[in-house]
Amino acid sequence: MSLALIEKILTPENLEFMIKGAGYSLAIAICALFGGSVLGLLAAAAKMSHFKILRAISNIYCEIFRGTPMLLQIMLLYLAGPVLTKTFLDFVYTPNPYIIGAVAIAINSGAYETELFRSVIQAVDKGQWEASHTIGLTYFQTMRHVILPQAFRRVIPPFINEFIVLIKDSSLLSTIGAIELLRSAQIMTSNYYNFFVPYTAAAVMYLVMTVTISNVARGVERRLAESD
Amino acid sequence: MIKMIDVCKSFAKGKIKAVQHADFEVKRGEVICVIGPSGSGKSTLIRCINGLEIPDSGEVYIDGQPLHFDKLKDQIPLIMRMGFVFQHFNLFPHMTVLDNLTLGPIQAQKKDPKTAVELAKALLKRVGLEDKMESYPAQLSGGQKQRVAIARALAQEPEVLLFDEPTSALDPEMIGEVLDVMLELAKSGMTLVIVTHEMGFAREVATRVVFMDQGQILEVGTPGEVFDHPRSERLRDFLSRVIHI
Repeated sequence: MSLALIEKILTPENLEFMIKGAGYSLAIAICALFGGSVLGLLAAAAKMSHFKILRAISNIYCEIFRGTPMLLQIMLLYLAGPVLTKTFLDFVYTPNPYIIGAVAIAINSGAYETELFRSVIQAVDKGQWEASHTIGLTYFQTMRHVILPQAFRRVIPPFINEFIVLIKDSSLLSTIGAIELLRSAQIMTSNYYNFFVPYTAAAVMYLVMTVTISNVARGVERRLAESD
Repeated sequence: MIKMIDVCKSFAKGKIKAVQHADFEVKRGEVICVIGPSGSGKSTLIRCINGLEIPDSGEVYIDGQPLHFDKLKDQIPLIMRMGFVFQHFNLFPHMTVLDNLTLGPIQAQKKDPKTAVELAKALLKRVGLEDKMESYPAQLSGGQKQRVAIARALAQEPEVLLFDEPTSALDPEMIGEVLDVMLELAKSGMTLVIVTHEMGFAREVATRVVFMDQGQILEVGTPGEVFDHPRSERLRDFLSRVIHI
């Protein structure tokens, strides 16, 4: 493997192509993380609710999306979606792999984030609920002013960890034609008949993203530990 | 002021009978100290008064108004007439001392924030902590935390304060500062119900002392009656173990 080969493959244009792919990976991960946290918060609230039916819905959601492969979920949503709308609504559309992909990952991540939110909310000392009861706060006031602010601090480290997982998971969208980082590397492997250089370059780019984020997480964790 | 009629509460599906057939009344201005061995149901009894525990049976009246345990959500105004001080303080760790005191008045009583802050400052001064306004609970000693907790309970302007072993989690050298604050409250004429192991304090401030054992209220009387002329064998036995002279 010569340096010349690396120079030939990793031209500024090709690097730009891959960095653009990395940008998509990051954007998909961010959308999925926040979409997932909305779903996760709702499902966590349902899971802790007094209503049996809400708890059941939340449990089924978590079981289905944690119990099947994410790749399968992505393919089902991307490939089966248009077929379903054609069959039932007589309406055909061309799904956008980035949007459908991000939605699929968000739904999957939401199932994991449900447990995350539930565990940090329930980890808040029950004395906090009791104190809130005695000073006259309602359930929602207690949640808003007492429980969630404390849960929020504990959720930050695992939440950032989930972000890292999602950056890697976004590579699954290469299978449905989203040109994210892995797919951009794949395209280059077939253009140059070389696997080593594009894939290694992609690995380095993934690492730059994930290591940066986990360093930020460590800093945040340290600061939270200090203020406790 | 507070009336409990035939209150029963058990845990672990009836296996642990924490409170059995408790009948009890607190009049306005009284200072009641509840004493008894660990596990005798003192804490459960006081927690039943404001719905922290829901009795299996029996009734609780606050100033003649029944406390409906099945719909505690609608009982907030009634519950707020009773301040509660916990053994483990239960301050809100993510808030400053001042915010701990104003949260209830602003959110639950819809007080104007300025009024709430003024009241909070006055109360912190009363418990000797006006310089700790901007501190967080983690920066305070145990005794200071409990004094903040007392000020927080006072901030809702209650008619009665309930104390659940307020000094049991404190280092010995900090018990005095908390008892001093409670003594001052007793002298001010406030109605107090105190679950405590501080026998000297109970003898000094209580108008009546309640002795509980195995979930039952066994004796009620003035400190003189309870401490100097115990009628039951169990109270004599308890006193011989806790009072070392």
